[in-house]
Amino acid sequence: MPGPLAVLDSASKSFGDVLAVVELSLSVPGGEIYGLLGPNGAGKTTALRMLAGLLAPSLGSARVAGHDAGTSSAKQRLGYLSGSTGLFGRLTPREVLDYFGQIHGLSRRAIGQRVAVLAPALALDGVLGRRCEALSTGERQRVSIARAVLHDPSVLILDEPTSGLDVLASRFMRDFICAERARGKAVLFSTHYLAEAELLCDRIGFLHRGRLIAEGSPTDIRAQTGKASLEEAFLALAEEPGIPGEPGVLGHPGGPGGAP
Amino acid sequence: MNLRHVYLTLAKELREALRDRRTLAIMILLPLVIYPLLSMLAAQVATGRDKQRDERPSTVAIVGAAPARAALAAHIQSNPTIFILLSGGTPTDVEHGRLDALVELAPGEDGTLTVIYDATRDESRTAEDRLDSIFAKSFPDGCAPRFSAQKRSVAPQARLGGYLLSKALPLFVVLMVLLGAFYPAIDVTAGERERGTLETVLCSPIRRFDLMLGKVLAVASLAALTGVLNLASMAVTLMQILRLAAQNVVVDIPWGHALLSSLVIFPAALLFAAVFVALGATARTFKEAQTLLMPVYFLTVAPAMAGAIGEYPLRGIVAWIPGMNITLLARDLLVGRATWSGGLATLASTLLLSAAALAAAAHIYDSERLVAPTPRRQRVPGAPARTTSAGDALVLFALAFLLLYFVFLPLEQRHLASGLLIAEWLGLFGLVWLFARTSGQTFKNAMGFSRPRPRAMLGAALAGCSAWAAVAIFSEWVLPVPKQLLEELRKSLIPLDGTRGFVATLLLVAVTPAICEECLFRGPILRGLRTRFDSVAAVVITAVLFGLFHMDVYRLIPTALLGIMLGFIALESGSIAASMVAHFCNNAMLVALASLGLDRPMETLSQRALTLLVLASLVLTATGLALVRGARHRPEV
Repeated sequence: MPGPLAVLDSASKSFGDVLAVVELSLSVPGGEIYGLLGPNGAGKTTALRMLAGLLAPSLGSARVAGHDAGTSSAKQRLGYLSGSTGLFGRLTPREVLDYFGQIHGLSRRAIGQRVAVLAPALALDGVLGRRCEALSTGERQRVSIARAVLHDPSVLILDEPTSGLDVLASRFMRDFICAERARGKAVLFSTHYLAEAELLCDRIGFLHRGRLIAEGSPTDIRAQTGKASLEEAFLALAEEPGIPGEPGVLGHPGGPGGAP
Repeated sequence: MNLRHVYLTLAKELREALRDRRTLAIMILLPLVIYPLLSMLAAQVATGRDKQRDERPSTVAIVGAAPARAALAAHIQSNPTIFILLSGGTPTDVEHGRLDALVELAPGEDGTLTVIYDATRDESRTAEDRLDSIFAKSFPDGCAPRFSAQKRSVAPQARLGGYLLSKALPLFVVLMVLLGAFYPAIDVTAGERERGTLETVLCSPIRRFDLMLGKVLAVASLAALTGVLNLASMAVTLMQILRLAAQNVVVDIPWGHALLSSLVIFPAALLFAAVFVALGATARTFKEAQTLLMPVYFLTVAPAMAGAIGEYPLRGIVAWIPGMNITLLARDLLVGRATWSGGLATLASTLLLSAAALAAAAHIYDSERLVAPTPRRQRVPGAPARTTSAGDALVLFALAFLLLYFVFLPLEQRHLASGLLIAEWLGLFGLVWLFARTSGQTFKNAMGFSRPRPRAMLGAALAGCSAWAAVAIFSEWVLPVPKQLLEELRKSLIPLDGTRGFVATLLLVAVTPAICEECLFRGPILRGLRTRFDSVAAVVITAVLFGLFHMDVYRLIPTALLGIMLGFIALESGSIAASMVAHFCNNAMLVALASLGLDRPMETLSQRALTLLVLASLVLTATGLALVRGARHRPEV
């Protein structure tokens, strides 16, 4: 198995007096889908943002493909899909892809070739010339994915990629994630849809109030807890003795809303 | 710097902005539609008014017993659609609008008459015109005039154009460029954050400086375009007006100079774009950005307006004041008296400030700051129920300023010492006390008063005793105080004629301001601003407010510089007690110097002695501040 491409090493993040993530360690090798699960405010988005280089860990470290997160080298090897679609509404998808492709150092010719591959795969052929603000949620999400994978990154970080999508679009997204795994990418994504994680993930990590309370394949976690579903397993883990309860002012994991 | 990235961002931002209806409305709709529309409407209204006046007969009367009266009355009455002749009247009737004009005939045969009319009333001026034409018709060519009537001439507007344009155009340019930069700057910063594209951009391999340079250049391009379009539209409208009025008005418009002066659009656009983008970058939402930029808009307009109104020459410190120097350079170019030194100083100051604003924007546009959630305020056991916000700080400043301006300054003008005492203790100390009471805080907490470490107090005293020399010499170099003003200030505050003793002067000029001014400025104002801005920004804003509060252009720089030092001391020591000590020491040194008669000899010091004094002052101040640095007891709650 190849070495880990996305690594959080005892990473903690605090905002003022509030601890959003506490000593989180995880590593995702190429060809694996890792699901970061947890309720709202668990610290999923903060963890992903540390890997994306948007937030620096208060303690510990974050690395992408062997480079410190946030550096230009790490960003070159990273495809990030934020909670919002992150598209420029007044530009067309083609213009958005052109901008980000060139920022990532691709030539116009290379961008054209990538778009020619991605557009049919993501069903974007009919929308490339329309303004992003005129696209449906599913179309916007597909354009965002195209934007995130345009430069063929080795690590994909997807923050709740199926949130707000209908059944068909969610299915499309799941298929796409699986396809990226097959291409040897390390895929790290967050969701609070446990059933979705069960279908997709090779491994999952349960985050609860900023702490990783369980990690393993869905089968392993169900077996550890003796529960039939991931949802029941999570509930059992969250209620286990030793899991920190209601926090004080300092040491309050989860953060203010977690994903602002 | 990756120029490709800069170019890409510039092109992307321009494309986005040009597709935004709001930007287009401000940039194109305003200049291309509003001005011609307004001038057309104005012309229509004026024509309508003229017609109304033409249709209305003028009410006139003739007084005096001259033999020609009957003939004149007959002429007037022969035009009943134009005149209504009354049997009599007085100049008061004209003044009150009961009569449009009164003809006073002088006794005798020589036909001297006076037409009394109201030049400020259009109807009266029309009556005067009509009477003129009646007089002309009365006398066939070749006949000797029977009346001698004084005629009113309207001053021609010849050669007014260039001068008038130099009063209006420079300010107009600045205003239009400001307007053009305003919305796009918000759109590329706070707008990006609000639209959710910020994360996507910041996790891409583009350096923040490149990103912000692209954004600033895009905003500057749009602002410059707005300025150019406005000027072009204005020029076309002006030409149209001149063409229509060519028969009556002779206006000399220096078009070549106007074109040259419009070149200031470009540095102005760069400056305002950089400043607005830097400010917009701090805002979380579009609305917040508007709120932040609006005061700066007016602050920028103020010096530009001062430049337009005042007859300031573009040299010295004035050439370095942003906004004002641009207005003055445009004026000088327009009237053909621009100098290279003034132009270069304007360009240099504009570029320097733009670069500083750009660097600040790149520093501020940091994902750590922009993406991180705002921590919820958590109640710490023992902490006050409410703390001072940035909004509280600004409201407090506004209240203190208004009180000073409308209430206490008139008192000070009557009696300086008592007025000053009341202003300080009631207007500042009392205000903070009232604020603490109404906001549910303890007075001590509202002020940020705690017992500082002895090291901090020692450092504050050292800095307070030594900073005055560097501050005074620097301020005098930048903006020299007129001797007469300095003498008046010295006499009023530190009288040496024995009318006020040393201790009383010390209490009035050193102790009182040290307590009361620190109580407000380094108290709730600095603490409130600190909740919204980082330490440096909060200290600088507080210092500027502190400088403005002294309402004296010559004291603005020294008080603001002193304010920066005091803010640093208050924050680093964690208590305003230390800044009070520094403030007291600074003012006490000035009183002591004046009392010992040492201040006047200092004015005649050699350049070498002044340099040594400044160096000594800086070294001692730095030592004092180093002692204060990090001397707080515990982290600020």
